[in-house]
Amino acid sequence: MEEILNGLADAVIKGDEEKAKEMAKKAIEANIDPLIAINNGLMKGMQKVSEDFNKLIIYLPDVMMAAEAMKAALSILEPKILEKKVKEEKKKVVIGTIQGDIHDIGKNIVALLLKANGFEVYDLGRDVPVDEFIRKAEEVNADIIAVSTLLSTSMPYMEDLINLLKERGLREKYIVMVGGGPVTREWAMSIGADGYGEDGEEAVRVAKELIKVKKK
Amino acid sequence: MITIWEVLDRAETGPYMEEKDFDIKIIAKKCRELVKEYDIKYNPEEIITTDSSLADDLFEAGLRLALEAGIYCQSTKRIIKFSEEEIKEGIKSAPSEIIVGQGRDSRILYARDIEDKRRPIICGGQAGATIPEEWYVPMAMSYMKEHLIDMINHGGLAIVEGRKVRTHSPLEIQATRRELVMLREAAARAGRPGIGLIAGESSVTALGDLAIASERYMRSTDSHLVALLNELKTDYDRLAKAVNFTEYGAYNVTLVDPIIGGYAGGPEGVAIVFIASFLLGRLLYRSEYHVCHPIHFRYVSTSAPECMWNLSIVGQAMARNTKFIIMGDVWTSAGAGSEMIFYEIAANTITNVVTGTHPLGVSATNGKYPHASGLETRFMAEVALASVKLKRNEANEIVLKLLNEYKDKMGKPDIGKPFPELYDMKKVVPKSDWETLYKSMKKKINDIIGGIIEV
Repeated sequence: MEEILNGLADAVIKGDEEKAKEMAKKAIEANIDPLIAINNGLMKGMQKVSEDFNKLIIYLPDVMMAAEAMKAALSILEPKILEKKVKEEKKKVVIGTIQGDIHDIGKNIVALLLKANGFEVYDLGRDVPVDEFIRKAEEVNADIIAVSTLLSTSMPYMEDLINLLKERGLREKYIVMVGGGPVTREWAMSIGADGYGEDGEEAVRVAKELIKVKKK
Repeated sequence: MITIWEVLDRAETGPYMEEKDFDIKIIAKKCRELVKEYDIKYNPEEIITTDSSLADDLFEAGLRLALEAGIYCQSTKRIIKFSEEEIKEGIKSAPSEIIVGQGRDSRILYARDIEDKRRPIICGGQAGATIPEEWYVPMAMSYMKEHLIDMINHGGLAIVEGRKVRTHSPLEIQATRRELVMLREAAARAGRPGIGLIAGESSVTALGDLAIASERYMRSTDSHLVALLNELKTDYDRLAKAVNFTEYGAYNVTLVDPIIGGYAGGPEGVAIVFIASFLLGRLLYRSEYHVCHPIHFRYVSTSAPECMWNLSIVGQAMARNTKFIIMGDVWTSAGAGSEMIFYEIAANTITNVVTGTHPLGVSATNGKYPHASGLETRFMAEVALASVKLKRNEANEIVLKLLNEYKDKMGKPDIGKPFPELYDMKKVVPKSDWETLYKSMKKKINDIIGGIIEV
């Protein structure tokens, strides 16, 4: 069993889709609980990928390839788990670069790292209208709305989002996280956001902490 | 050189591609291949290398990337491709000097060489930051009053007359015009009415930019930045800015800011993207000069070692193979009012000046907080003027020593103080504690760098 779990982790670390699929099939053949294969194999690999990326040992394309390998293995493992159980395991994040802004690398990095850390991520892309975040969050019953911008003139749209959530009586339903180049911790607090990430690593850590608090 | 009309035609008719494929199958893949093929290696012990063959190999790799990748237009999802002949025509036709500013405040901005003994042009201001409207004039004056500063690139406005400026809203027009009105007022009050500007920072889309193409705001000897989006991309907003200033007759400047750790990979891939961006920016935006701004995935700052290596090797590659005019950004993690900022400024500035670029800064706290002033930019200018005495190997030793003083603090920098706490807002002079810190840090750093700064 150890060999297969290490194989799954290794396939993710190397971004090897074919090997990831092969190891996922082997896990099923060996009667390994798919959840164990995911958590002790794929996620272990993804954790190493996140760590290496944060230390700049590897780069964004490597993380993207790792995510693709993980997706390939999950397509084989997930159908073997009861649908309900999977849904209970994953927390949902709706993420995007807000209105007016077309810069998305930072948002892409955070989205990838959240996925790597077990979140189900709905990436709305860039230049996303304020109400679209809410529409999508309602549609997928999200836990977190995560908003990014590199433009100081798109920061007011973050405040608009929080105000619109309040207007619609939905503010308490969602954790709102903000980040991006000009966004500061102080500003995030001033608009009433729940969380802020200076970088991808902090964003993931804060998302996990806020989910724990929400559960209580 | 290829016309702007032809560029726009190609944005509509070039090969179609999904953006994700361009990022991964073109940029990431080709950068990785070219780094390997040309054996480009980042050496943290040699921030400033004397290996000219590395610079030439990098230039060749960048030219290949420019040819093979082209520029992706996000608005049309098409790739704007250029032939080798067109790229070479862009290199040949690039001006090696231009006049910025007017009258006695005008300066000749020129293409620097490696270890160039000529005085570099100093461009001051907290570029990239948002500055509160009520401080804007005195803060801009604090730079303009420094006689060593030749040009200004100050931040933009995010609030105008108490109203938050939202991207693409009509307020973008007012914010950009107000920025220019206040820069002109500051220049007049500082006795530098003709000082050359790189401005229009409040114009994040083309709206504000279109509104300032008038002698009342921007003169034909002023410049605006037109960014290449990460990596090797543009869109109709950026192209509209370039078209506008091309027809207006002021300078287009390519802002290139690839991310170390992003699609291009590590420092080596980013260096290749820089070369390709400058070559393509010349054709795409008809740029007269260019800004080199490596972004560190974690720290942002150009003073991070991987970023300074990029400034150094890219500057050298361009100086050896073209006559492009290039400015190198000086963006620090620390803020004005801190000790740390002086080490970052010194290391970053020496790197730029010795390897072929003019310093542009200081954008303290990476433009995140308005914790900046003219005084630390005076220090940047003093270091820049002294750096012309240095050879690359001497500069490298000094930069490594300076880097040791701040590299471990980059994750949690001292962000210093806001401008009103550093300057007397009425007289627009540094407050005594800020001036005392400047003097003591100048002495401390001058001791480290061999006493080359004139006291």
